[in-house]
Amino acid sequence: MSSRTERTEVNAVLDTLYGCERPYLVGIRHHSPALSVVLPDLLAKYQPEMLLVELPAEFTDWLGWLADPGTTAPVALAGVVAEGGGPAFYPFADFSPELVAIRWAVAHGVPVVPCDLPLADPAWRDPHADAAWRAPAPQAPLDHGPAQKAPLDHRPAQRAPLDHRPAQEAPSGPEPAREAPPSRRLTLTQGLPTLAQGLKAAASGRADEDMWDRTVEARAPGADTEAIRRAALLVGWALRHDTERAGGVSRIDLCREAWMRRCLAEAAGKRVAAVVGAFHAPALLPSAPDTDTPATGAPDTDARNTGAPNTGAPNGRVRPAGTVVTSLVPYTFELLDERSGYPAGIRDPQWQQAVLRAAGDPLAIEAAATESVVQICARVRAAGHPAGPAEAREAVRLASDLARLRGLPAPGRGELVEALQTVLAQGEVMGRGRAVAAAMERALVGDRRGTLAPGTPRSGLGPAVRDLLAALRLPGPGGPEKEVRLDPLRSDLDRRREVALHRLTVCDIPYGEATEVVGLGGGDALTSRWRLRWTPGTEAMLDVAGVRGVVLAQAAEGMLRERRRREAAAGGPTASEAVEGLRAAAVCGLAVLTTERLAEVATLVPASGTLSETIGALALLDRLRLGHIAGASGLPKTEVSAVAEVLEAAAVRQVDGLAGSEDVADAHALAALAQRAEGTGVGLRLSAALDRLTTGGTPMIGAAAGVVRMLLGLDEPAALGSRLASWVDTATTPDARRALRGRLTGALAVAEPLLHTGGEALTGLLERVESLADDEFLARLPALRGGFHVLSPAARGRLLEVVHERLGGGYDVGAVDDPDLLLARLLADRAGLDALSRHRLPAPSTTDGHPPTVDAAARTVSGQLSAADRWRLVLGRESRCLAGAARRYATALDELYGTGQGEGCRDGDAAGRGPAFPSVREWARELEELFGSGVREEVLASAAESGRADAALLLEPHSVRPSVELLQSVLSLAGGMPESTVARLRPLVARIIEELTRELAVRLRPALSGLTTPRPTYRPGGPLDLSRTVRRNLAVSRFDDDGRFVLVPATPVFRTRARRGVDWRLVLVVDVSGSMEASVIWSALTSAVLAGVPALTTHFVAFSTEVVDLTDRVHDPLSLLLEVQVGGGTHIAAGLRYARGLVTVPARTLVVVVSDFEEGYPLAGLLGEVRALKESGCTLLGCASLDDDARPRYCVSTAGQLVAAGMPVAALSPMELARWVGEQVKP
Amino acid sequence: MTTETVERVRQVDPAEHAYADQLAFLAAYDDGPRPPGWRLTPRAVVTFIAGATGVLQLPKGARREGLPARCAIEAKFVGDRALVERCVVTLAGERGLLLVGEPGTAKSMLSELLSAAVCGTSELVVQGTAGTTEDQLRYGWNYALLLAHGPSPEALVPSPVLTAMSTGAVARVEEITRCLPEVQDALVSILSDRRIAVPELAGTEHATVPARPGFTVVATANLRDRGVSEMSAALKRRFNFETVGPIPDLAAETALVTRQAKAVLDRVSTPFAVDEAVVEALVTAFRDLRAGRSVEGWDVERPSTVMSTAEAVAVASSIGLAAAYFPGDRDVLSLLPGHLLGVVRKDDPADGAKLLGYWDGAVRRRAQGGARLWRQLWELRDVITD
Repeated sequence: MSSRTERTEVNAVLDTLYGCERPYLVGIRHHSPALSVVLPDLLAKYQPEMLLVELPAEFTDWLGWLADPGTTAPVALAGVVAEGGGPAFYPFADFSPELVAIRWAVAHGVPVVPCDLPLADPAWRDPHADAAWRAPAPQAPLDHGPAQKAPLDHRPAQRAPLDHRPAQEAPSGPEPAREAPPSRRLTLTQGLPTLAQGLKAAASGRADEDMWDRTVEARAPGADTEAIRRAALLVGWALRHDTERAGGVSRIDLCREAWMRRCLAEAAGKRVAAVVGAFHAPALLPSAPDTDTPATGAPDTDARNTGAPNTGAPNGRVRPAGTVVTSLVPYTFELLDERSGYPAGIRDPQWQQAVLRAAGDPLAIEAAATESVVQICARVRAAGHPAGPAEAREAVRLASDLARLRGLPAPGRGELVEALQTVLAQGEVMGRGRAVAAAMERALVGDRRGTLAPGTPRSGLGPAVRDLLAALRLPGPGGPEKEVRLDPLRSDLDRRREVALHRLTVCDIPYGEATEVVGLGGGDALTSRWRLRWTPGTEAMLDVAGVRGVVLAQAAEGMLRERRRREAAAGGPTASEAVEGLRAAAVCGLAVLTTERLAEVATLVPASGTLSETIGALALLDRLRLGHIAGASGLPKTEVSAVAEVLEAAAVRQVDGLAGSEDVADAHALAALAQRAEGTGVGLRLSAALDRLTTGGTPMIGAAAGVVRMLLGLDEPAALGSRLASWVDTATTPDARRALRGRLTGALAVAEPLLHTGGEALTGLLERVESLADDEFLARLPALRGGFHVLSPAARGRLLEVVHERLGGGYDVGAVDDPDLLLARLLADRAGLDALSRHRLPAPSTTDGHPPTVDAAARTVSGQLSAADRWRLVLGRESRCLAGAARRYATALDELYGTGQGEGCRDGDAAGRGPAFPSVREWARELEELFGSGVREEVLASAAESGRADAALLLEPHSVRPSVELLQSVLSLAGGMPESTVARLRPLVARIIEELTRELAVRLRPALSGLTTPRPTYRPGGPLDLSRTVRRNLAVSRFDDDGRFVLVPATPVFRTRARRGVDWRLVLVVDVSGSMEASVIWSALTSAVLAGVPALTTHFVAFSTEVVDLTDRVHDPLSLLLEVQVGGGTHIAAGLRYARGLVTVPARTLVVVVSDFEEGYPLAGLLGEVRALKESGCTLLGCASLDDDARPRYCVSTAGQLVAAGMPVAALSPMELARWVGEQVKP
Repeated sequence: MTTETVERVRQVDPAEHAYADQLAFLAAYDDGPRPPGWRLTPRAVVTFIAGATGVLQLPKGARREGLPARCAIEAKFVGDRALVERCVVTLAGERGLLLVGEPGTAKSMLSELLSAAVCGTSELVVQGTAGTTEDQLRYGWNYALLLAHGPSPEALVPSPVLTAMSTGAVARVEEITRCLPEVQDALVSILSDRRIAVPELAGTEHATVPARPGFTVVATANLRDRGVSEMSAALKRRFNFETVGPIPDLAAETALVTRQAKAVLDRVSTPFAVDEAVVEALVTAFRDLRAGRSVEGWDVERPSTVMSTAEAVAVASSIGLAAAYFPGDRDVLSLLPGHLLGVVRKDDPADGAKLLGYWDGAVRRRAQGGARLWRQLWELRDVITD
């Protein structure tokens, strides 16, 4: 019963609104093709004497230019309120009813009056007013507040483009169950919670659909013009009704409406047409003020807010001078699209334009939909996905039928989008779905650009920037070049200057150039230096940037948003792009964008960032948190800390991917990460990951992880100490010595601070160094020296001092090289000895001129080398204090290691080094003499590795022990050497490769043996396949004389377990970016072996950022490896795209990617390629590394996403790879 | 006597039986134009599946014997109404419909309801497995008859698809991606030519079986699960795709899990004695790990395995059974981490680390936030660290 009364009530109100003659009310939305089509008719019928449009009074002067026939939409009106106010923005397209109305009025000589509250009015900028006014409202559920009326209420965006988000009604509250009415009928209220929900329920099945679209736009085609006006007024009234019920209309809206009523009152007696937001229309009824404002005390506030600046002249002709700068700028469809982030936009302008062109004809709209669909299909096809006329036809059919099912005269945007998704996207979000979305965006958004009529006054960004620079006391046009040093954290002026300069830089406007400033101790600088100059280029670029905004902040934000859009269009942004975007937004002081980018960083970096990117992002967040970035001082610190915590968790995930690392930087990163994690309590995950690294990682990272565990208190120092000692003990073979070097490097890189304090952890190691027999010590010496080399010279110097102390503080004569001083000490020594003997005390024993302490003497009995000398050798310091033979060792090793890098490498005792060897040959001879031939080779190989080509040449091809490490170091040289030298290296490389390949082939062959003998399908042996036999022989069967059917099984068919295993194709896609050397070599060797299998066609595709197909060299790993240039970035998607071209029979193609998965390009592209390959039916495998230990060094997060996309990722040895290939190919 | 009743009782009633009265009612209620071969109008099909508000009343002229005059139609599929509308319009155009989505999202139920409403039967169904052969999509032979009498229409064993073609009904193919690609491709020609050729009967009128109006195919598939074969592009082009998402609402999912776990325990006549809060914690953990984002918006690493509602039901019932059979042994909550670990690790043992990460992040923070239940779970961390 109540619903019926309510319906009557609604109709009554609606009749009043609709029937009102003075003013004649046209409720609109800012963009509405439906109303734009009918508006001229409506106005012509009413014949107004004056037109009120909902625009602030400040824009009066521009209306003529706006309606000028020379002006092509889209264009935008913008108003900036003095300092502190963001721009108010009114974009207009041909389908904006206001523009249509203004054009009509100008053409017919009807005066136009902007009737919205002037921008200069303080009510616009009083953020608390609204909240304070709303607070007492008791039952405000906030469900249907601002979000709902946004589409209708096109108030200018005050600095917050987000407020003007789409017309998505809040999907909260209980979703009403809906009935499907047998007949089409607009049922208004059926006891539903709100009118809006009632309208929505009657109109569409979709929960995310906005009411205006359903009730006005979708029903407009073919409808009567008056019916459209009525529907629009109804929606506006319904929203207002709900807003009032949900807590009331906001105060700013009441103020604006009060102003509109004043404007109306001024025009009393005339025939006035009011083209205003549908939401405001009910407030303009002659009876409205009384019903609307009593409870709010609005008259009072109105007087305070609006009365002050311009008393009694509400028509805008008298405006507060100088406070509002207005401009008319050309606009583009791209910016008009709501997703661009610019305020007051609409989705898919090109489609709206098409609807406008259709002028309300349902058939024309259907034709426009068909045209759009065909265009989209063409674009999807161009992106490499099948989408032909059949799909287009089905999409159009589906859209029209959906419209019919929902009782609409023609398909709306919603139906079109739904149909396209259903028909074209094929349930694929990643690959195809993305292509379809991109095509839709291109085709529906469009690229129309507006132009201003000739003669329109210049306005916008240029004047705004000139004023800004003047205000900041920075050189303007014609000013001299200037250099400034800014201290933005101390001075507010400098802060504003810095932000402005960053914004100019972001807009590509050549004006300021930052010069590098290095902070104290290499840290981040807190001040900045700029070289400033206004050039003609500045002027030119200001014009270009002007389309993006009328003030610098808006232009910069527009530029950055555009960048983000472009990244998104390319499938990104990547993790590094997101971090860079956050930095840019922060330095430009764009709070909203910074928050958005921060959220992006919080999701993207954990999902796809590598460990170093994550650490980099953490560093940026630290700067933000500490307030070191001047522009972003307002950012809530808790939020930043929360994101930092998320990133820390993400970094912990990456730890598993370090297992194969040989890079000291990774050890440092691990230590830094552990320290961070300690603050939040040691994570279960981190401790488990560290444990895995300790047991399964490379020597370097394993040892580092062990030390980190000890530092975090997870392991006992003593246990670590005994392990460290055991490494030295077991270093008896070349491999073990290599491992020792790696382990020491890793452990010392992390444990450097521990060295100075000693402690249990290092005791074992120190003891070993001092107590080993001479020959054992010397055999390990190069490895030890190599391990300690990771420390900076100064650190090694300090360590040596610690060791001296530890050795008992004995005064080391050898450390003094002044003969006079030495003599003086000698004499003193003698005197002392004499004194001792006089008193019959025992004299300390002396050996070879050294006066060691009691402690040290005890340990050096086993050899000639004293403990102190050993340390000097190991640490590579104080070489000149060494005597005789020891000095020769030091010199030979110094030749390899030099003084090292980092703190202290420039000073110290470089002069103490012996003369360098005249040639590498002599050095090699010396090495052999000192260490023996085995160790000599190790040292020379290390020399080759560190870039000494001549050392590599000394290695004897026939005596050398082939290893991948050696091959790796020699090959790394090949790139930078002249051809003649490479020729001399070739025998060496050839022999190593030959040996390794032979070795590998022996191991791999069993795994592949089944592949060479594919079994024939029809060979008898398996069970008889009865049904096939019958079918196959039906043709030769016959009826016998009795009419009975006789089957003659001429060709029996058997079941066989073997699939026809010929012509399988294996595509090895190998990453040759830096850090992948070992895997490249193993890949080449493995592919050479696999290429020898007859049933397999093996392709070798190398990629970094470019792709090279080396398939023709796959049988000859030597030339293949010499061809490959290791280095450069990583673009896996490109490699895969090429591999896709090699696929002919997907079901029999194996694609194996060997990479560290540190993709340098947007992940979406990569995932798309993986999906595409997977969809086509190929078998995929990702190898995080391919080497004998199967220890991967890779980006865990990316790999995780690849697994989800259908490519399993594993670290494999060549043996396991061959076994995998065998399993795939065999039945 | 008892045996007879047992035989008659079905574990699950097909939709056309369970809702026979509603279907009959809707056929009379909405007598608008129907697509060829349809029992109901498209709008009535949508109403049948997505429900109607209030009680519907038959128009005066349509009242008939044996039909209720008023009928309440409840929503049978919890989800987007627009999705149902698109499905119905797709079928009305006689185009193939493919429902995709993660396991446990009621795809099969939707396909059953659609076919029952459209053509009155949901039993023309092919269950896709790796062992499905082309015969099950086209036709096979009764070899005894074939050998005895030669190729004849009597010896031909029609597949559900062939039956649907010859009667103008909806054929259902469940789990189409589990069939081998070459088997799937048998559907390509069926969906484009709309007829099946029987070359063995060449020369007779039975050489081709044309599809009657109304014939179409509803298939369901998991695109992301393991052990599925990819569909060929040609086949994909012949289907409209609809993605069915997981249940959007925590409360709804918790209720569903509780209800189904109760049903499992009912079958063995034991009460479900697990606290609502424990079930909610379980469902929350499942949702967090499934979405890669906790309810609070914290980042969670997603394991590679599918965390479906069905598995949540399985865990809830295991916990319920443990509580029923071993009462007082241990707190039911203490069983939860172990079960979670089992689910997370089932595809890739390395995913155990991701659960550790979940404990480090979301569980720890909730525990710090003071939630008692989550604090208990945090203290149970030893279970998952091995």
